[in-house]
Amino acid sequence: MIKHYFLPQSLDEALALLKEHGEDVAVSGGGTHMMMLINNGHIFPRALMGLRRAGLANIHANGSLRIGAMSTMTQIMQADTGDLLHTAAQNVGGWAVRNMATVGGNLMMPQPAGDFAVALLALGADVKLAGPDGERLVPLVDFYASLPHLKTGELITEIIVPHSTGKTAYLKHARREANAPSMVTVAVNLEMDGGTVTAARIALNGAGATPVRATAAERVVTGQALEPQTIAQAAKAAAEECSPFDDAVASAWYRRKMVDVFVKRALEAIV
Amino acid sequence: MPSKVISFVLNGREVEAMVKPAETVQTLIRERLHYTATKSGCKQGGCGSCTVLLNGEPVLSCLLPAEDIADQEVTTLEGVTPMHGLDPIQQSFADHYATQCGFCTPGMIMVTKALLDHNPDPTRQEIMDAIAGNFCRCTGYQPIIEAIEAAAGHGKYAGHGK
Repeated sequence: MIKHYFLPQSLDEALALLKEHGEDVAVSGGGTHMMMLINNGHIFPRALMGLRRAGLANIHANGSLRIGAMSTMTQIMQADTGDLLHTAAQNVGGWAVRNMATVGGNLMMPQPAGDFAVALLALGADVKLAGPDGERLVPLVDFYASLPHLKTGELITEIIVPHSTGKTAYLKHARREANAPSMVTVAVNLEMDGGTVTAARIALNGAGATPVRATAAERVVTGQALEPQTIAQAAKAAAEECSPFDDAVASAWYRRKMVDVFVKRALEAIV
Repeated sequence: MPSKVISFVLNGREVEAMVKPAETVQTLIRERLHYTATKSGCKQGGCGSCTVLLNGEPVLSCLLPAEDIADQEVTTLEGVTPMHGLDPIQQSFADHYATQCGFCTPGMIMVTKALLDHNPDPTRQEIMDAIAGNFCRCTGYQPIIEAIEAAAGHGKYAGHGK
């Protein structure tokens, strides 16, 4: 039984509560994951903290994009956040879930529920964290590489997306067309000069312990024109380097095959 | 255990209620306030049968702590139903055989209400997008989509409380 529910009215109050209650308090963003865990009896926290009123739901879209961690998928779709993030947000859950699920929460979701985060990886986003030692800014790729992602007493406060002029593509492969967990999701962001790729970010969801960059595939396309042969080689590299998993929606074996297919289709979509 | 008193607007009426820590809106409206049109399905956010409108937007009441809705407006199916007769959406669901067992119906109607309030003349694709988070295990969705199209009536929907 949860003994306390905290609904802090500011970030400072949230951080103070975390400091005071430490590991006893579970943190919920939009609640689409944490409340499910509680309802199903997967976890039994002594206290729960909801961040809906902590003032973290603002989106600033001039120059680089600054997204408050508590911004919902619906807010992303309504703000001027670009095609890639719009498509990614649209691919999270159903309508009611998108009204609740948050950007910060999506970073903490277990696989394969990182269909928004994968787009942030492709855009080279940074994550701003606040904790007892102040703020720090971490590239999302490093955030995922470090375990635990958050230090004790830390919260995700903001996601910062640099201005991008790249060409983007987003493809999600699931058992149903909508509101379905991902088997594989691919987000691609390519800086092009004429027909040549000058910088590449290719990100995969459903193909590792977290959303990941397919760096070998990125190296294949960088400096090249997107010829069919290059695309096929990049897709093969992505399939080889990723570490997919078995779950109820797909096997690791199938996911690896689909990484090949969907990286190829995503790159073809950019040509 | 520190329960709290919250006040909010339920179907146009101000309500005060005592809620336990992290008690959900679903538990509050069903078990304390006895508004049982809102269903309790999967409690995972997967089925949509508990959908209510929060300030006119669909949310899942099973995943929403009641304290979060303090001072806000919640609409349930009871609030869509007029004093006499049925809302055009309800009538259309009946006319088009869009309910079989009826368990998903309250959630479907809440999402439809939000859809038509936002977008009075939705395309078939927009209807399908809107109800994608609501599972129906009986109808195969076709009658529901047809019911929503008919309720919209090419922009003529004017429901209760509009």
